[in-house]
Amino acid sequence: MDQDLAAAGTTTLESTARQRLDAAIAQVNAVLVGKNQPIRKAFACLLAAGHLLIEDVPGVGKTTLAHALAVTLGLSFRRIQFTSDLLPSDIVGVSVFDRDRNAFRFQPGPIFAQLLLADEINRATPKTQSALLEAMAEGQVTADGASRALPQPFFTVATQNPMDTAGTYPLPDSQLDRFMLRISLDYPDPESERKLLTGEDRATLLGRLHACLSADDILALRSQAHAVTASPALLDYVQALVTASRKHPDIRTGLSPRAGLALLACARAWAYLGARDYVMPEDVQAVFTGVAAHRLIPARSVARDALAQTLLESVAVE
Amino acid sequence: MIWRRSRAGIREAVPLAALPFSLLCATVLCTLAAHAPHLPPWFTAVLAAIIAARWWQRRRHHRRASAWLRIALLIAIPGVVLAVYGTPFGRDPGAAIVCGLLVVKLLESEHARDARMAVGFACFILMSALLFDQSLAFTIMVGLLLLPPLATLRALESGLPPGRWLPAFKTGGVLLAASLPAALLGFMLIPRLATPLWGAPDNGVAHTGISDRMAPGDLHTLLTDSAVAMRIGFDGLPPPEDQRYFRGMVLWHFDGSAWTRGPASRRAWPPAPVEARGPVTRYSVTLEPSHRHWLFALDVPVAAPEGTTLLPDRTLQASRPIDHTLHYRVESAARYHLGASTLDPRLRAAALQLPAGYDPRTRELAAGWRERAAGNDLAIIRDALEMYHNGGFVYDLDAPPLGRNSIDDFLFDTKIGFCEHYASSFTFLMRAAGIPARVVVGYQGGYWNPVAHYLLVRQSNAHSWTEVWLAGRGWVRIDPTAAVSKVIMAQAGSDTGLPLGGGDISWWLPWQNRFDIVNRWWGQTVVGFDALRQSRLFRPFGIEHATAQMLGITLAVIVFLALSAGALLASLRPRTRPRDALAAAQSRLQGKLLRCGIVRGAAEGPSDFYTRAARALPPEAETLRALAGEYACLRYAFPEPPPERTRAFARRVRSFHPGRVVK
Repeated sequence: MDQDLAAAGTTTLESTARQRLDAAIAQVNAVLVGKNQPIRKAFACLLAAGHLLIEDVPGVGKTTLAHALAVTLGLSFRRIQFTSDLLPSDIVGVSVFDRDRNAFRFQPGPIFAQLLLADEINRATPKTQSALLEAMAEGQVTADGASRALPQPFFTVATQNPMDTAGTYPLPDSQLDRFMLRISLDYPDPESERKLLTGEDRATLLGRLHACLSADDILALRSQAHAVTASPALLDYVQALVTASRKHPDIRTGLSPRAGLALLACARAWAYLGARDYVMPEDVQAVFTGVAAHRLIPARSVARDALAQTLLESVAVE
Repeated sequence: MIWRRSRAGIREAVPLAALPFSLLCATVLCTLAAHAPHLPPWFTAVLAAIIAARWWQRRRHHRRASAWLRIALLIAIPGVVLAVYGTPFGRDPGAAIVCGLLVVKLLESEHARDARMAVGFACFILMSALLFDQSLAFTIMVGLLLLPPLATLRALESGLPPGRWLPAFKTGGVLLAASLPAALLGFMLIPRLATPLWGAPDNGVAHTGISDRMAPGDLHTLLTDSAVAMRIGFDGLPPPEDQRYFRGMVLWHFDGSAWTRGPASRRAWPPAPVEARGPVTRYSVTLEPSHRHWLFALDVPVAAPEGTTLLPDRTLQASRPIDHTLHYRVESAARYHLGASTLDPRLRAAALQLPAGYDPRTRELAAGWRERAAGNDLAIIRDALEMYHNGGFVYDLDAPPLGRNSIDDFLFDTKIGFCEHYASSFTFLMRAAGIPARVVVGYQGGYWNPVAHYLLVRQSNAHSWTEVWLAGRGWVRIDPTAAVSKVIMAQAGSDTGLPLGGGDISWWLPWQNRFDIVNRWWGQTVVGFDALRQSRLFRPFGIEHATAQMLGITLAVIVFLALSAGALLASLRPRTRPRDALAAAQSRLQGKLLRCGIVRGAAEGPSDFYTRAARALPPEAETLRALAGEYACLRYAFPEPPPERTRAFARRVRSFHPGRVVK
């Protein structure tokens, strides 16, 4: 969308947290060259209080993006490398017997972090994947009968290889629904690739990154993004999209109400990133494929992204 | 005008997607198929191969066709046509050139705009195939071949599910069906010219049909041709099968190898008097174009139809070659006495003419009969027919070639032939024996359609026979072929309509004969709907002769009424009213941009749309950006658009005049 147009007739949002957000985006952009859109979407997902799924072939920068985000956001960071022998307790934590106090003491797992990188999530068994479910949905984990709250903000960035790669377990639909946004990074364009080849080593770059935001900043930004206006006309549009997904002949299962909420939240965050205090249909359209495609269950073998695009084209905008 | 140029820019920039391109290839193939019957097969095959190769190349490698190939084709096509036809003018070379150029157009089609032009061009070429064939089956086929071009046009527009071609064809079908009433109206009411303004020259291609020269073997191609020659409807019962002889022309002169009309037929004799010896048969003939002067009538016509001449030998001649289907009514006497009581000496001389120095053995044979008969002509005729019957003669379309003394060779050596061999040799024999005789060429037999009650005569019914002059009886028809192959002759007039001994005619001919009812209806009602028939269109309303003006006014009135009815229906339909003043102002703005050629997609966000419009109309970009920002804010930043600002927005839209600023 045209930046001039977006700025026209809007109230400019001024805040220091806002300026730090822009700096954070710029810093991640410097590490991942030519990936402006996916990075913006990742930040939209963060501001919409969702979890991010990055799906692509190995080697295009999924983990680098997650690392860059972790450092830049200034959050406590843990990484879990998912493998087929990973157990749920390896994520959540275990109770060990404390001989001094003569009682069991809970040893928190790596999930107790503000930013969790679940690398190659689809290499673990569905049982282990499901251990993430509660954490992602409710921001708490239950172990040994006790619920324990996770630190706030809690942001999961999961990466996965495409389904047809050998040795993967496809994420169950319920798990997929927990991810607010799915992005893919794709191969870099020739210009960016050249910069990548001639530029500094990514590891060195990552080492030089500094935190641009803090947990408090993120919580503040989230509440600002949440306050972005969604007019009745826009809510009509979101509802029309959700309804269309449930009626489309090529879709077996359409978008859930949770998906509708995610769509609106993401569109709000997108508008906020565009420095606007109201949501426009273009914001919805920008994030729709990322929000909807992985939740649609096609009735026949059609690419999910193409289905989402068809839905967008079939719903009229006011 | 700058904006006009940029408008064109928008259209041209749309690249041709895979589906419309495939459909365009199908369109060009269909056009080629419609012209295939009259193009050289290798030419069609090469063009089809180019289309297939281009389709494959674009699908597989996403590449453009080489410019050199297009230039080479552009030069080669007219060159090839010149080499094959010898001229670039005329119907056939013209068709070959445009088919070739259409393929070149396909090769350079990369954008939606090219495809639209190619489809228009293809439709025109498709329609031109009707210049070659106007039969019902072909017309229906051409109509159906219009589906791919219509589907292509549909696929060029947006809103089609990706990769699905069937919906495009559905739209094409609906369009085709919806156009039928308009086509019918135009067909009936657009004023016609009595004669075509222009004709498609035929390059002197040989026409099938009976010619006025007969040499042994000439009729062979005709006897295996199942094309329709004429259709005859009788007022009463049809004549019995053995009397279905249709007289075409009389050949007097024999030069040793061929029979021609000769000088005798060209002299202004008074017509030979005819005395009917039985009931007169009245009937109407629908003659297919023969490109010759001859009309055919049941032996022997008693009166000439209007506009034709009855020649002295009782044959009918039109003043102009028959280039389109001709209807005429004739009366004939099946039993008759033809000719005066005495034969004019000059005619007698013509009817006894024989070339000197030919066929000595035949002359010798005839002289022997003459001597034996002692003046009894009937005895000579009986001897001759007896010879054909028992002399080992065979009726066969595969007659061996004959030498210089063709009659001798046939009568004494080969003894194999068909009607013209028999008529020719019999007439020669009669003349050599001193009996005046002449050859008559026409049709014999035909298929009687018991449902629609008409006689269908095909070219394969072509026949020749002999007339001899007998004192006191005048000219008498004798069919020597009947003496040879009695059984096969009987079959000629039977149900099957098979020609004499014709083994070459396909097995579906009986079905073709039955189906001919539809063709006859088509020919009479549709193809035969000429200026005269059109002028009689208003007869039921008491108007005897409708002028072109009346037709035009009627057409205009009907079109006006139809459009009014359509407008009324459209206005009665519940319209989607704009939901508020802001929506009304926005739709007004979009209407103004629409007139500049900028159409908003249904699912296009307002901001995206106005950004696009601003790019297309650079002089208006500032205004458009401001309007777009204001609209987006009013619509999406407030629960309800504030009335005051909405009114201001509406005013700005009203005063916005895209295109008017730039001149």
